[in-house]
Parts: sequence; C-alpha cells; structure tokens
Amino acid sequence: MMAPFHIAAGFRSPHLSILLLALSMVLPSAAVPPTRFDTIAGQADAARTANHVPDAIRLYREATRLKPAWSDGWWYLGSLFYDLDRFSEAAAAFRHLLDDPRYRGSAHAFVGLCEYETGQYDDALAQFRAWAGAGWAGTPELRTVGYYHFSLLLTREGKFTQSLALITWLVPRLGDNAELTEAMGLASLRIRYLPENCPPELRERVWLSGKAALYAQMAPRQFEPADEFAARLVARYGGQPEVHAVRAMLYEIEDKKAEAEVEYREELKISPDHVPALVALAEMDLDKGETAEARVFAQKAIDAETNHAEAHHLLGRVFLANRDLAASVKELETARQLAPKSAGVRAHLAMVYGRLGRIQEAKAESAAYIELKNKADAAAALRIKSQGQPAIPAQDSSSETLEKTN
Amino acid sequence: MISRILLIASLVAFAIAAPGAVAQTDTAPPRKDFRQLLQDAEKARDENRDEDALRLFRRALIVQPESEEALWYLGTMLYEKKQYAEARDALRVFMTLRSDAGAGWALLGMTEFNLREYPRALDHLQRARSMGVGDRKDLSQAMFYDLACLLNRFERYDEVMVILATADADDSFIEPAGLHGLRMPYLPAEIPADRRAMVEVAGRAVLAFQAQRYDEAETGFKQLILDYPNEPGVHFLYGAFLSVQRPGDAVPEFERELQISPAHVLARVRLAEQLVGSRDYDRALALAREAMKLEPKRVSAHLYAGEALVGKGDLGDGIKELEIARDGEPDATRTRWDLLRAYLSAGRQEDANREKQEIGKLLRLDAQSHPSESGETQHDQNPH
Repeated sequence: MMAPFHIAAGFRSPHLSILLLALSMVLPSAAVPPTRFDTIAGQADAARTANHVPDAIRLYREATRLKPAWSDGWWYLGSLFYDLDRFSEAAAAFRHLLDDPRYRGSAHAFVGLCEYETGQYDDALAQFRAWAGAGWAGTPELRTVGYYHFSLLLTREGKFTQSLALITWLVPRLGDNAELTEAMGLASLRIRYLPENCPPELRERVWLSGKAALYAQMAPRQFEPADEFAARLVARYGGQPEVHAVRAMLYEIEDKKAEAEVEYREELKISPDHVPALVALAEMDLDKGETAEARVFAQKAIDAETNHAEAHHLLGRVFLANRDLAASVKELETARQLAPKSAGVRAHLAMVYGRLGRIQEAKAESAAYIELKNKADAAAALRIKSQGQPAIPAQDSSSETLEKTN
Repeated sequence: MISRILLIASLVAFAIAAPGAVAQTDTAPPRKDFRQLLQDAEKARDENRDEDALRLFRRALIVQPESEEALWYLGTMLYEKKQYAEARDALRVFMTLRSDAGAGWALLGMTEFNLREYPRALDHLQRARSMGVGDRKDLSQAMFYDLACLLNRFERYDEVMVILATADADDSFIEPAGLHGLRMPYLPAEIPADRRAMVEVAGRAVLAFQAQRYDEAETGFKQLILDYPNEPGVHFLYGAFLSVQRPGDAVPEFERELQISPAHVLARVRLAEQLVGSRDYDRALALAREAMKLEPKRVSAHLYAGEALVGKGDLGDGIKELEIARDGEPDATRTRWDLLRAYLSAGRQEDANREKQEIGKLLRLDAQSHPSESGETQHDQNPH
C-alpha cells in the first residue's frame, strides 16, 4: 500500500526547497569590494546550497546581525530552523518578515505554524487569519499544512463549522488520510481539543465520526462507508452528546431530511440545549410550516446562545410567517447586527421592511442582499477558477452557523 | 508495554566519538571553562546528582551552545527524567549537528511520542529505523514498539506487519499486534476499555502466526470469533489467516466480514483473490470493482480485476487493469507474471519480453536481499 501523505511530516522538506528556489539571491556587486556582510552572506548561501546546515545557520545569524534589514537572510534562517523543527528560533526569524511585502503573506503562515508548534495557539490563530487576509500566499504544500493547522485552531476556538469548511477543502486532494480524519472528527463532534491534547478515551469516537465526515466529503462522495462509520458511532456511543448530531448532519448531506430530523431530536434528548440541533430543527419546522415548534426551538437556541445570528434569523422568519412583522423585524435586525454579511438575513429584512411599508429601508436591504449575493457568487467562481482557495474564516462568532444558509 | 527507560550508559558511547568532538564557534570562550563545566557535569551525573548534572550541562551549553556532548547528555537525562519538552528541544539542536545519528533520531522520536507529537515522532522514528540504531537491543525494541503504535494510529497497517517481523516481536507487542490485526487506529492507551480484551486475544494470535506457531494462532483466532462474532475486523482477520492456511475456508469469513462491515475494502479484495483462485471470475470481478470504487488506488483490487478479466477471456481490459496494478507496485512479481502471460496470449511478444526481463531483475534482487517490505500484493505470508 502506498504510504499516505502525512500533513505534518510530509510537508517539511520539499516545500521549503521550492520556496527557496523561487527566491532571488542577493549577490555582491562585482564592481564594489565586498563588505563583511557581503562576504558572510555569500558564505551563508554557499553553506546552505552545500547542505552544511549548522554552518549555514551560524552564517545567516551573523549576516542578519550585521544587516538586520536583510529579508532573504531572515527567510533562509527561518526556513532552516523550520526544517529542523526548531520552531521558536524559526518564528523569531520569520517575524522579521511580517512587514516585508515580498514575504509577508507566507511569513504569516510560517509564524502561525511555528507558534502552533510552540503552543502559542491564540497567536498562531491570529497569524493564520492574517495569512488568509493576505490571500493565502505560498505554495500548495504550504497551503495544505496551513489549512490543516488553521482548521485545528478553529476547532479549538469553537468555530466548528468554519473548521470543517476549511479542512474539507483538503479532502479531495488528500483522500482518506488519518490526520484529516482526526481533524474532521474533532470538529464534527464539536470537541474543542487539538489532536495532541484530546483525551485518549475519546479517540474511538473521534475516529468514527471523522471517517463518517471524511467519506461524506470525498469526491465523489462515498456515502456507503460514511454511513457505516456513522452507524458504528451511534451503536457505540449513542448515549453520548454530539453523536446523534453527527449522524443527523450526515443525513442532511445525503438529503435525507426525515432521518436527519429524527437524529436531531435524539440529540436533544441527550443535550437539550444543543444549539445546532435546535437551529436545524427550527429550520426544518419552518420548511414544513410548523411555526409553533419552530418558534420554541429558535427561542431555546437564543436562550442557550444569545448572540446566535442564525437563531435570531430563524425566529425572525417564524414571526414573519406568523405575520407578526414588528417582532420579525426586531429579530432580523438583531441577526443583521450579529451577521451583517449574511445575504439571507438581508433578504428577509428587505421583505419585512417592504411589508411594513418602509420602502427606503427595504430598497437598501435589497441592494445589500444583491451585493452580498454577487460577491459570494464571484468569490465562488474565482475559487473554482483558481482551483482552490477557501473562503476566509470570519473572526466574529455570529457567522459560525450562517454559512450553510447563505 | 516496553519500558522506555533507557540506559544512558548504553547510549552515550555512540554520541561522543572523542572529547574533541565538541563543535567550535567563532565566539567560543576559552575552552578550559567549557571543559571544566562538562567534566563537573559528568562527575555529577556519575554520582547520581542529577539536578547538579543538569544545571552544569545547561551552563556548559550557555558557553558552547553547539556542544554535541552537552546536548546529548542533557537530552538523554531529561528524557529519563520524563522532562520531554526540554529533552526534545535539546535533541533537536543535537540532531542539527548530528543528522547521521540513527539513535539520536530514535530518542528524539520517542521523546516526541511522549509529547504526543505523533506525525513528527513517526517521521523521526522512520528515519532512525532506516539509519539503524546499532546493536542497542533495548533502544531498537522501544523504537519498534513506538513505531508500530504510530503506524497503526496513522492507519498504515501494512507497514506494521513489517515492523512486527523486523522487531522479532515478543509479548510486549501484543497490543500493537492486536490493533494491527483488527485494523484499529489507536495507540494502546487509546483502546476503549471494552475492547481491550478483544485486542489482546487478536494480538496474541497475530504474534503466534508471526512466529509460525500456527496451531496456537488458529486457537486464538477461533477464540476471537467465538467471543466477538459481530465485531468489525474479526472475521476478516481470521479469513486472512485461513487464506494462508486453508484457502477454501477463508471465503465464508470474508463474506461474513462484508455483512458486518459492508464498506470493508480489503475483505472485498481478499475475497476476490480467493474467487479468482476458484475461477469464479464474475464474482471476483464484481468485488474487485466495488473495492476500486471505494478505494481507487488500491493496487490489489486492480490486480484481481485484471486476473478475473483475463480469466474471463477479456484480454484487453484485463491487461489494462494489470498494468495499473504494475504501475502502482512495480516490484510485485505476481502482477508481472500475470502480465507476461496475458501479453503472450494477446500476441504482444515485445511487451512480454520486457516483463520477463523485469521478473528476472526482481528475482535476482529478491535472492540478494529480502522479501519486499511494501508488498501489498505479496501478502501470501501475511495475515493481511
């Protein structure tokens, strides 16, 4: 059997060579006598090229001491340390590049990776967000490792939907991969652990749910093994929180709404305040016109998580369906405040304003909706064209559950 | 479980070739200061004054940050004292200087294992294994144990079999062997409490099979079936054993496994293999194709699909499948032989000659060295 690609282990050497090759070397001018810096920089490059790593490190250190503005030197130094898993030292070198327009994007990713390895998780997450904001710069290898670690940190922060969206991006490329499985299992079960600190007793649960999630996201989707793993998960851990919600989400992906509803209701028996289940059931009820129960579920979700934008959105829709426009507009305005970039919220607000005769506001919300929709369509088209960069995971908590509805 | 406590005395000899092995830097202060610190540190260590020794090694490293001796002693002492994070950092600097040291990679990998940095631990233990760790039995067994555990966890089960064979696995390997046999991607510490007994029964049977104690192995596998008849992986494991011992008896076990685990790729593949053997080509082909659908890169699925197609007389499609299998695993002689015969039947003499040459090369290589380690399609001697 072919050895599977390993995200952490497989990444370290090859990508750096590619990055390093892509960089222009700083060479001393022939016409000017070389300075001490020029000499040492040249020796450093030669040592690196000859794979004399300890010498190269010593020389790059000396050269960057002589000329702290030498970006290429910091880059090489950081890369060498990174390759050796000496992450504190690598991060220190890469941080010199965060303001350099040539390196800034990739440097954010590398600093994030280093900070992840040294346990500075909040800082690492901030770096990955900056990396995403800078357009996910770097080689495909860097993006693979970056997405993976970014996703893990999003799970740790409780941004499970965003985490899954990001890690899912890797599934078609890497296939059935143990590290992806674990990452998807943690996010699916909404467990705020990193793989390295997840309690051993959760391992089987994480693996089973991870496999179910991973097979469901393969291209083409493989629902048979996904269902098998999900069934095993339920058989083994059906009395534990989150398990029925995982099963329900898989049914939703399979477009088996009735089965999904049953599982969400099972989840509520175990976790009465399970917000994703409450929200999902409220939406299902709304679709069926069962607004009384939808209202109860949406309100319970808000009680459990006051700033849950989608719950306010759904409650607003319930009131809209019941023609209680004043209550509806209140909930939808709250949803807009929490998630201003939700096209769905803006569309419903436009509808309610229109019915209330607040024409100007209705027009403004319609325009906002169209703009957001166009942007989303354009971004999706761009992602398809560029063969893959995920949306930037948002920082605000309210967008967590709005992604699927937009 | 293998004790991870290593005898420093058995390791230090490798690290330091001679007192002069200390790296020099441009800014090194007078050597005497450093040597004195090192001597004091070693004396403290010899007198079991560990805290003094650690303090002195750290001071020595302030004077000479790239001292191989100080880094190694510090790393090994910290490892023994289970101060893994600091041990890891010292060993990583040491490995910068001594990337040729297999034992160093092993100790670093085991340190990372204890820190639960599993991908990195696996990478470094693999490196140690490829370089070798000399004749230090305790170190090599500890390395193989961790390696087997990690390969299981990363679902690289086929490689675990090789490790078990290479390590001359004793009873301390029962849990990794059982996890491997049942294809459970857990570390021993992660085995669910209600699965521990099952893993142990499986592990004992797998190790007995490995040691060619076939009666004992069969007793174990039968016990497994008796105690856990509906658990995923159990019937497949017994079927894999039977396919080596009594191939005809393997079929119902694989079929039962597929009832329990409908998406089990290997059960399909191994069942297809048995059905090709009994010339039931239609069923074999259907199973192989299902396996390919579930796992398109599974080489053996292409092999048995190819064999079934050729058996049915569809030489063109059969050859295509066999070629995919050959390209996926060029060292598999079975595929080469199949192709040789298929090319001859199709009148493709030139292609047949090429395969013949390749078979010759592989046989010569095989005679010179040892059985293939990857060997997915050469699993006749393996339970999987």
